[in-house]
Amino acid sequence: MKLFAPIRSFLSETGSVARFVSRYFQEIFQPRYEVRQFIRQCFTIGYKSLPLIGITGFIMGLVLTMQLRPTLLSYGVVSKLPVMVSLAIVREIGPVISALIFAGKISSSMGAELGSMKVTEQIDAMEVSGTNPFKYLVVTRVLAATLMLPVLTVLSDAIGLYGSYLGVNIKDHTSLGLFFFEVFNTLHFGDVLPATIKTFFFGFAIGIIGCYKGYNSSKGTEGVGRAANSAVVISSVVVFIIDLLAVQITDVLGLN
Amino acid sequence: MAKDTINNVKLGLFISSAVAILIISLYLIGRNQNFFGSNFYLRARFSNINGLIAGNNVRFSGIQVGTVDKIRVIDDTTVEVTLIIDKSMKPYIHKNSTAAIGNDGLMGNKVINITPNKIASPVIEEDGLLFTRKAPYTDEMIEKLSSTNNNVEVLSFKLVNTVDQLNNSKALWSILNDTTIPVNLKLSINNIKEASIKINELMDVIHEIAKDLHEGRGTAGMLLKDEKAATDIKQAIANIDKASQESVTAIAAIDSVVQQLHEDMFYGKGAVHTLLRDTQFVSRLNHSMDNIEKGTAAFSEDMEALKHNALTRGYFKKQAKKTKSVK
Amino acid sequence: MMTENIHTNTTNEPSTIDPVIVIKDLKKGFGDRVVLNGFSIELRRGESLVVLGKSGSGKSVLIKCIIGLMLPDSGTIEVLGKNIESLDHKHMDELRSHIGFLFQSNALYDSMTIRENLQFPMRRHLGRLTRQEVNSRIMETLTNVGLANTVDMLPSELSGGMQKRVALARALILNPQIILYDEPTTGLDPITAREISKLITDIQHKYSTSSIIISHDMNCVKQTADRVALLLNGVCYAIGTYNELLHSDDENIKQFFE
Repeated sequence: MKLFAPIRSFLSETGSVARFVSRYFQEIFQPRYEVRQFIRQCFTIGYKSLPLIGITGFIMGLVLTMQLRPTLLSYGVVSKLPVMVSLAIVREIGPVISALIFAGKISSSMGAELGSMKVTEQIDAMEVSGTNPFKYLVVTRVLAATLMLPVLTVLSDAIGLYGSYLGVNIKDHTSLGLFFFEVFNTLHFGDVLPATIKTFFFGFAIGIIGCYKGYNSSKGTEGVGRAANSAVVISSVVVFIIDLLAVQITDVLGLN
Repeated sequence: MAKDTINNVKLGLFISSAVAILIISLYLIGRNQNFFGSNFYLRARFSNINGLIAGNNVRFSGIQVGTVDKIRVIDDTTVEVTLIIDKSMKPYIHKNSTAAIGNDGLMGNKVINITPNKIASPVIEEDGLLFTRKAPYTDEMIEKLSSTNNNVEVLSFKLVNTVDQLNNSKALWSILNDTTIPVNLKLSINNIKEASIKINELMDVIHEIAKDLHEGRGTAGMLLKDEKAATDIKQAIANIDKASQESVTAIAAIDSVVQQLHEDMFYGKGAVHTLLRDTQFVSRLNHSMDNIEKGTAAFSEDMEALKHNALTRGYFKKQAKKTKSVK
Repeated sequence: MMTENIHTNTTNEPSTIDPVIVIKDLKKGFGDRVVLNGFSIELRRGESLVVLGKSGSGKSVLIKCIIGLMLPDSGTIEVLGKNIESLDHKHMDELRSHIGFLFQSNALYDSMTIRENLQFPMRRHLGRLTRQEVNSRIMETLTNVGLANTVDMLPSELSGGMQKRVALARALILNPQIILYDEPTTGLDPITAREISKLITDIQHKYSTSSIIISHDMNCVKQTADRVALLLNGVCYAIGTYNELLHSDDENIKQFFE
């Protein structure tokens, strides 16, 4: 039986995550909507993450351009640089890098915040004060994460493409108009829509895992730390798993 | 509360800018794909669409005017392609315009090129069928290119071979390096010239003699009595005849050799192979040059002997006087 | 039964007989470990009942069951005449608005100012109050716990004793009929603990609440208790006034008072 303990704990964890998710969907549609708290969470989760995600997006665009250039040069297709970079950023790099940074910033802070609230009985205090803490804390955060990550990703993509534009201009010369003309000439709905849709799932996964880990953290400061840490680790892995599923689903649907 | 309002403004700005970017980019992409804006449809039928897919561009005289909407198989030899065309282009596309499938660059996507016709024709109606033209496809082009390539390969192989042989041929190099040949050639040609002048002179003499004989005067009477002299002359004439014949063939031979050398240099064909393989050629050439020289020298001697012959001495003297007085 | 004896002994005290909380045969366990094993108690209106017990004896579990944060395995809990197990969410919230709860760790929302902390319970239960009424209520309650000047500070800027006072103010903000104190003096220095104990008795008189105080701090018990219930091995082992239990001959009772 001891041999199966890790498997058992994995399964029971998965089960309780599923229960947590189903509770989320029950609570989100029941009235008494915590609109103010939701907007506040959108601000902290979305707006406050913009500088971080913007900087990483910018650097990714710039670096990707500079890294791809020598290869394209050897094939004599440097003029296709905007095409390559925009496809890479919009389809994959933008959503995934944003999601990973988002997971690192948001999932851990959710894990730590809810974890410490749990440990210091603040969640109980809310319950006693006639506020549904699940609605007040979890639903607002998860919903904010679900909706804010796509917003962040779109902005990060835009900033990343601007970075790529600057990267192109280090060695070659192109105008901003021509660069974006080429970018939009390359992109199809099949590039933008699946990539945008999957960021909703990324955001949801990051939010729900961060909240689950925090909400169910064990007593003590160590429990809070572990909640924050495992929230980041698990949500990062889940981002990649969802990415894998997304590419397969879009492939099956013929959107690739 | 004031802080909350500012935060809401920031949040609103943040979200609306992202939504605006998304909407604008979707619009820009959609404009490329003709999802928005006013369009009309055209059809074109092809027997082979060469991998054209929905979403490929349609160009009218090189201008991007629309995209391929859908592709439908009509029967086993016909594929119908529906095109979405920007409505503003409608007045410019006439009924007799032709559609052809082309390539957007060598490696690029397929495109449909609509080419206008110079002959006047009414404007095409919506959902009209365009004439189609089979455009040279890359595959065929590449096929042709490959056969050309094969030819070039064979040629270049042969060229390499020839150059190799030229390089390795001792004979040619020794011909080219032998500076005595042109000198000899010049010399023999000069001899031939000299000889032929002398033959001419001799012919004149013979002509004169024959005339005298005919008139039965001068030394000719004596000539008829003197049998020994007669045989001498006969002999001499035969010799002259033989020598002149020899020199003619020799000149012809030299001429053809020179000709061939010339041709070989320029066209690298014909006798050059034998020439190149035959290392004895040079020696033979030298030999024949020698012979020619000798032959002409002998001829000159004969002529000189004839001058001093009793029968013709008078004539020669007369001739000498004549030339002297002319001078 | 001893419990019965002490119970009957105390019936002649001045407080009214009308019970606000009646717990009967409460059982609660976690896995194999039984924490409460048939616990029964009654809280009378206006009285201050201290539940005394060793660490881990299930004192906190008891009051969390009363407020509905934990569900009992069996037994009934009646608060203000309502069986909490039969209540739906809405009525539970309604009932909770009559109960103040002071958490052991204060449970102040550390992302909010003191004002927001005190507003938090009101935003549900007293939604129809004007901003001015809310503010005056906050200031009044804070003044009652002696911290009127901290209203715009964050909990982390306050000392442990001050945090406890704010937490008490938050428990009081809805003018509850019942206040549940979960180890109010734990983690405080003796002087502050005495101040808090005094505050509890002051509040008791000022707001005329009934209260259950969970504690193992004998100074606090002595200062605040009208009656003391002894929680031992999951049952209410004994109940009586502080002095009655202090002079008991029972070995199990004596060990608490040494």
